[in-house]
Amino acid sequence: MNRGPAAAPGHAFQLRLREEPPKRAEFVADQTSTANQWPAGAGAYDLISPARKRLGWTLMAAATLGLLATIVFEILYRAETETWRPAVYAYVLWGVALGIGQVLTRGEDGQRALFLLPALLFTIAMVIFPTLFGFYIALTDWNLSSFSGRKFNGLDNFWQMLGDPYYRNALFNMVLYVLAVAVEYVIAFGLALLLNAQIRARKFFRVVFLMPLMLSPVAVSWMIGKSLMEYRFGPAATLARHLGWDNPAFFSDPITARISIMILDAWTFIPFMMIMLLAGLQAMSREVLEAARVDGANAWQTFWQVTFPLMLPVSVTAVILRIIFKLKLADIIITVTSGGPGGATDSVSSFIYREYRDRSNVGYGTMLAMAYLVIIVVFVTWLLKIANRFVRNVN
Amino acid sequence: MKVGLYEKLVRAGATRRDVLKGAASMAAIAAASGAGLGALTRPASAASELRAKILQIPGVGKGQPTDADFQKVGELCLEATKANVKEGEFAGVELKFMGLNNQNLHNVLFRGFLKPWEAYTGAKISWIDLAQADYNARLQQSIATGTVDFDIAEMGAPFEGDVCGKGLTSEMPDWVKKQIDIDDLVNYLKPPVGTWEGKQYRVTIDGDTHNFNYRADVFADPDLAKQWKDSGGAGEWGVPKTWQQVQAVTKFLKGKKFKGQDVYGYLDAPKPWGGFGFYFLGSRATAYAKHPDDKAWLFDADTMKPRINNPAWVRAIQDVIDALPSEPADQINADPNTTGFQQFLAGTGSMIPWWGDIGSNAKTNDSSVVGDLCGFDILPGSDDVYNSKTGQWDKLPGGPNYAPNLAYLGWGIYVMARVDSDPKKQKAAWSAAAHLGGKDLAIWTAMYPSGFQCYRNSQHDIDEWVAAGYDKAFISNYLDSQFNSYNHPNGAIEPRIPGIFQYYSAAEDILANTFAGKMKAQEGADAIAAAWEKLTDQIGREKQIKLYKASLGV
Repeated sequence: MNRGPAAAPGHAFQLRLREEPPKRAEFVADQTSTANQWPAGAGAYDLISPARKRLGWTLMAAATLGLLATIVFEILYRAETETWRPAVYAYVLWGVALGIGQVLTRGEDGQRALFLLPALLFTIAMVIFPTLFGFYIALTDWNLSSFSGRKFNGLDNFWQMLGDPYYRNALFNMVLYVLAVAVEYVIAFGLALLLNAQIRARKFFRVVFLMPLMLSPVAVSWMIGKSLMEYRFGPAATLARHLGWDNPAFFSDPITARISIMILDAWTFIPFMMIMLLAGLQAMSREVLEAARVDGANAWQTFWQVTFPLMLPVSVTAVILRIIFKLKLADIIITVTSGGPGGATDSVSSFIYREYRDRSNVGYGTMLAMAYLVIIVVFVTWLLKIANRFVRNVN
Repeated sequence: MKVGLYEKLVRAGATRRDVLKGAASMAAIAAASGAGLGALTRPASAASELRAKILQIPGVGKGQPTDADFQKVGELCLEATKANVKEGEFAGVELKFMGLNNQNLHNVLFRGFLKPWEAYTGAKISWIDLAQADYNARLQQSIATGTVDFDIAEMGAPFEGDVCGKGLTSEMPDWVKKQIDIDDLVNYLKPPVGTWEGKQYRVTIDGDTHNFNYRADVFADPDLAKQWKDSGGAGEWGVPKTWQQVQAVTKFLKGKKFKGQDVYGYLDAPKPWGGFGFYFLGSRATAYAKHPDDKAWLFDADTMKPRINNPAWVRAIQDVIDALPSEPADQINADPNTTGFQQFLAGTGSMIPWWGDIGSNAKTNDSSVVGDLCGFDILPGSDDVYNSKTGQWDKLPGGPNYAPNLAYLGWGIYVMARVDSDPKKQKAAWSAAAHLGGKDLAIWTAMYPSGFQCYRNSQHDIDEWVAAGYDKAFISNYLDSQFNSYNHPNGAIEPRIPGIFQYYSAAEDILANTFAGKMKAQEGADAIAAAWEKLTDQIGREKQIKLYKASLGV
């Protein structure tokens, strides 16, 4: 909110009459006053008495003190209280007091703030605080089975992470998985072009091609990874035998297993990219394509010099979103290979899952997750910059 | 009784005959007890009358029991409670019960069993139902965050370290021991299991062990016997009794055909399985590592120094590495669920260790093709056993060393210490637990789908099973493999130390790399030992040593 210089105590009242509507920012800024400066024509609604303001400030201060006192009490007497609920209740009360305080001290401006405050407080409670707390947990030695509970251990977890061959292996696998997005993109683009063409039963194919996306990856893992691709009775394995592959074991050697996992994941998510690209193709102006044709461009030239450049913004969005999905890859791996053979298919998320769930190593597991979060944020930010520059240059 | 074993009786072709046979036997028992034909059957005591009566609810082979059946059984088994509790004694008491809801069993049954108990005592129970996968996380979080919000818990013995070891459970009163006839438990479930520092905490309601499941037809086949002889195989062709024989047979069967299909020998489970996969290496290792003169076999009891990298365990790991090339091509990606249900029951492989589920699914699981073809035994032994104290391999005078892997030790009911401050609530909680751990209820849960196996000596009365409708040869062979493991003098007892599944899970990751060829057996074992040492330090070495000793009873 722009409070502006006029709102400072002692300044002359500058409220403009309603018949001359002020610019919005000024109007909002000029709602406070003292009783003896009450101008003719101004409603009581617009003016706030010092007593009311004092009440508002007192209320907010009291609630803040109450919240801080509760938190301090909880920290000091955690063993006796056995629950953090009082702090949660104090936070809710503080939120309510803050809302009332805003109205009391800032009038209509405060009422407007009420629209924002619940969402803001909720975000603080559910996103910002847990993230910060997560960073703190990452700096602790906290095994759920430990007798001494949680202990602050500084950057020990970080140094351990740097020397952890399983984490490095998982990060390396993630690089390979992300590179596979390029192949997925080519296939998705091809399918989108196909479904954009005048083919028979186009609507039917559009729905059918979308279906894998509607399936849970866990269901895909069981249906395909553990049934169709099953070594003994799986139809895919039987077909492979007919085609001359003696031992069609899809998850037994590192390279085959990685490719198999990539295919499973691609099968689920190619439709996602495809549908975005299809939407882009349909939004493209027909006139441009017709103009290209009139100019004598053949199909390849039309695609490469007209369609593809025009589709770049959509493509970049689709690829980046897909990469973000890919970076979270875990469910298929957990279900089908548990990261094997010998860690060949392990993703960072599936490794963290084992560290956290099977080994209750909360401190170290959180450090791995937080480090991965930072890597993702940096990587995606960099990717967006590169992509923007690329799109700008091409267009 | 596992659901599968029960369904076998419902669906098997012989059901009608068996049921009739069972019904006839049942009628004979009933007639004998009524008409005094004591010379032909056992004496008709009130207890056996009650047992015969509950085993007819709803009747083996007459479909899946319903909630009404659970309540009827619960009602009939209330006599033991009535001896210790007056009607309405627990009016106003509210208890929270945390347990599983796997396959609509566990808590679902407990609700039915406890309804008549609630009606009689006046207590009220509310329920926390958990899927198995969520159980450990929920329990650990409750403990770590000091938010134990339940009064009674259904829990596996491996978690005792996390719960009893931290003083969170209530000590069992003497009247409960008497009510549940605690001396009837099979040997391996007697103290120290269920106790910490000499105090009894657990009402056992289940037993678990790894037994040896094999294809009787493969080991009785004359062609294979001839080929075995021709290839210079040692001794007669038959079911392997030692791991040395298992290895030899597995290598021999590579590439052999049986009934027109590839026949494989032993099936390993190298893929991680949330820590549970480690039990399968354990089953290969116990005969090498569990010396009859030493209760410890996984860690040194005095220091918690891991034994995983001693010659016995390394030999077991090497056995897996040596056997894998003779196993199916994708074996490296097989977890225990695959070896048991997708391979062995589907006709691939001729030997696996597993819990009792394989036997109970053999004839009932839709994908099983080995129904009448499999046999059961205790785990194989070893010609020599490693002595950790001398660092030598010993040959025992009595022959091979057998050491059944008493994996997981079954489920139990535990009362939490938070009820201790209120004597009425405490008695109510223990009364509910004792009701579920009752001797008569146990035979019913063993014979009908419940999720629980036998755990009492009184459940090994084959005649009682046959009278209820079970096939004698099958049930005898199956129960013998279980009870001979349970009561074995050299059984390998699981260390019930806090975080035991963390040790298993860490080992699984490293073993997966070792089996994939990234490390040699000794290197992998050393890496596991290093990870375990670190974990022990993280959890607290001194406490772990104390609890490990307590869990071993030394």
